[in-house]
Parts: sequence; C-alpha cells; structure tokens
Amino acid sequence: MVLAHQMAMENPLIQAEMVEAMEFPELAGKYNVSGVPQTTINSGAGTVVGAYPEPDLLVAIQRALKAAG
Amino acid sequence: MKQILPDQIVTQVRQVLASQLLQPVEMVLFLRQENCETCADTQQLLEELVALSDKLYLSVHDIEADAELARQMNVDKTPGIVLVGRDGEKQIDYGIRFAGVPSGYAFSTLINDLILVSGRDSKLQPMTRASLQNIKKPVLLQVFSTPT
Repeated sequence: MVLAHQMAMENPLIQAEMVEAMEFPELAGKYNVSGVPQTTINSGAGTVVGAYPEPDLLVAIQRALKAAG
Repeated sequence: MKQILPDQIVTQVRQVLASQLLQPVEMVLFLRQENCETCADTQQLLEELVALSDKLYLSVHDIEADAELARQMNVDKTPGIVLVGRDGEKQIDYGIRFAGVPSGYAFSTLINDLILVSGRDSKLQPMTRASLQNIKKPVLLQVFSTPT
C-alpha cells in the first residue's frame, strides 16, 4: 500500500508518482535515494525515508509547504 | 509471446478483483518507441491484467504522438501509468501515477490502487482526510521504490 497514492485521492492539488528507482537512476541520484521507499516532496522541499504512519507524512508535507512559503 | 504473470498469480488476482472492484477503472499507459527498455513488458503486463476483470480498461498512448495528452495528464516518463476512475465516458483523475514497469512491490501497489480507485475511497483516517483537503498549494509526492 502506498500512502502517497491514497493521499493524492483526497485533493486534486496532490499528485503522487511511484517511481521505479532502477529505471530512473538520474532522478533517484538527484534526490539522493539510498533506501526505499523514499518519498520526495515537491522536488526536494522535503524527504521521508522508509514506511511511516499517516500523520508523519502529513506533517512532512505541511512542513515542506511552509518552508517553501 | 510468453505470459508475464504466472498462472498462480493470475488466479489470485482474478479472485481479488472479482470480489473487490466496484466501479470501472482505466489505466492510461504512455509509451515511447525508442530508449524505453521496459515499455513493451509494461504494455503486455497491463494487457494481461486488464483481461482479468471486466471493470478494468486500458488505453495506450505514445508520449510523443500524444504529447498534448501527456502534458495534460502530467506524465513525463515512460512507461508512465495514470489510474483514473471511469464514469461513462468521463475520466476522474485521482492524481495516481506510476513511472517504470509495475512489477514486484509496485505490482501489489497497483492492485491495491485499482481497488481504492474502484471504490472511490482512499481509506485514510478522517483526520488525515480533513488535513489533506485543507492543502491549498500543489504537492508532488515521488515515491522511489525497487521491485523487491
């Protein structure tokens, strides 16, 4: 189950893409993907590594949006 | 052409889809003619999958020939898959994308997503839903994974 995909369903402003890291090594390199799953928020504004409960990813998204202003 | 999905998986997935799919779901697949090692396998995999339920649909597009559609759907990678709910001729975009062949871990994610989109329900906690609905800026989540 990918939480990001579930979250995308709740708001048309949210898009969630599951990326096969081996097939897109440049992108994975750009975001320093070392462990999977890794979730990158708004092209590097935030990053979450591993599996996480709903509130944690939500907080990471809110923090990334706040940091971007 | 050799079948990609093993018979045992075909049987399991057919049962799961038969018992859990509610409304129709379309997989919109974008391919590229050249420099795409996994495009052909992805197309075959999705064709095998769509054959397992009459609630599933598949449309296949070339990302260059159908560049305008790819842009509208925010797809820039191949193979790229968008899951949409189908309501008659109308497509409901839930923001769900896959980049790369959905095998292994991504395959089970795809099956789960088909069920969620089919039910038009994210299954998230009420508090999480409320917070997500309050977000007013675009959010792009990219989840990097590997097949195992």
